[in-house]
Amino acid sequence: MIKATSNPELLSWIGREATYTAREELGRASIRYFALAIDDDNPLYRDADYAAESRYGGIVAPPTLICETNQFAGETEDSNGYIGHHWDLPINNGRFMRGSNDYEFFHPVLPTDRVTVKWKITEIYERKTRKLGTLIFVSSVASYHNQDGKLLATNKETNIYQP
Amino acid sequence: MTMVSKTYESVTEGEVLPLISYTVNLHSLVKYAAATWDFHRYHYDAEFAKSVGMPAPFADGQMFGALLARLVMSWAGRDAFMRRLQYRQNATVFADETIIVTGQVRRKSMDGGKPVIHVVMAVTKADGTSVIRDATAQVELAPEAAPSAAMQRDEAQ
Repeated sequence: MIKATSNPELLSWIGREATYTAREELGRASIRYFALAIDDDNPLYRDADYAAESRYGGIVAPPTLICETNQFAGETEDSNGYIGHHWDLPINNGRFMRGSNDYEFFHPVLPTDRVTVKWKITEIYERKTRKLGTLIFVSSVASYHNQDGKLLATNKETNIYQP
Repeated sequence: MTMVSKTYESVTEGEVLPLISYTVNLHSLVKYAAATWDFHRYHYDAEFAKSVGMPAPFADGQMFGALLARLVMSWAGRDAFMRRLQYRQNATVFADETIIVTGQVRRKSMDGGKPVIHVVMAVTKADGTSVIRDATAQVELAPEAAPSAAMQRDEAQ
């Protein structure tokens, strides 16, 4: 069963936006670090000579790197140690689960790109489940532009809260 | 290391991509958390994870997106461009669990003269638990007749 949440305060969050601009260019070190973190030995992300021969003419970022936006948000560390973007939703209890991601990529992301991410809440609804009771689904879309206003990627994301 | 760029002709529908076996543990969780500036304690602090009702530190869902992209990009080679990646997560992966990331070519098509490969993927725990099923990716291969950026640069000199 799906219904819009009965909490009018929560409903008022639909349409809210948050925008963050990176303080600096992405950089080759960030790209190599991300690849290293997932044991990705693709030389496109770390070998300048190899990448120079590619269609890109140089090193590019792994596709989902810029969709990790903590680096751009630069928020003050909260009591959980978190410095990234989050919506301060009026939901009691913090059990939080990932639902789904739908990434679209429009241009290669370069080390020289300085990224601006804009988040927007598109949908909030409740669903009753047998195992976990009532869950709140929050869908948002993020768009990522570079310093020239070029749209690099979008990310439609749904997260699930267990109130 | 050199990687061969896949060509449209060389890709067959039903082709299986080389799988990735990846162990999520405090070591890999810390690496990914650091690389993505995600310092939330539930990714590396066992006591904290328990305090929020989780049995152990756990992986962020976008880590699976990164691994799915790695699977496709490594297979597709130097000139690949990821166009789209979609997945739904059905289970949480905790520290000291191993996951297998698999993929298979569903079909290939020409889109506006550009060769696009459609891949379907899954993430499964070693015990068989499904984490992600029916993830999809669209990856564009380099147009075969078009000169590479490097060639264009050489010609310009």
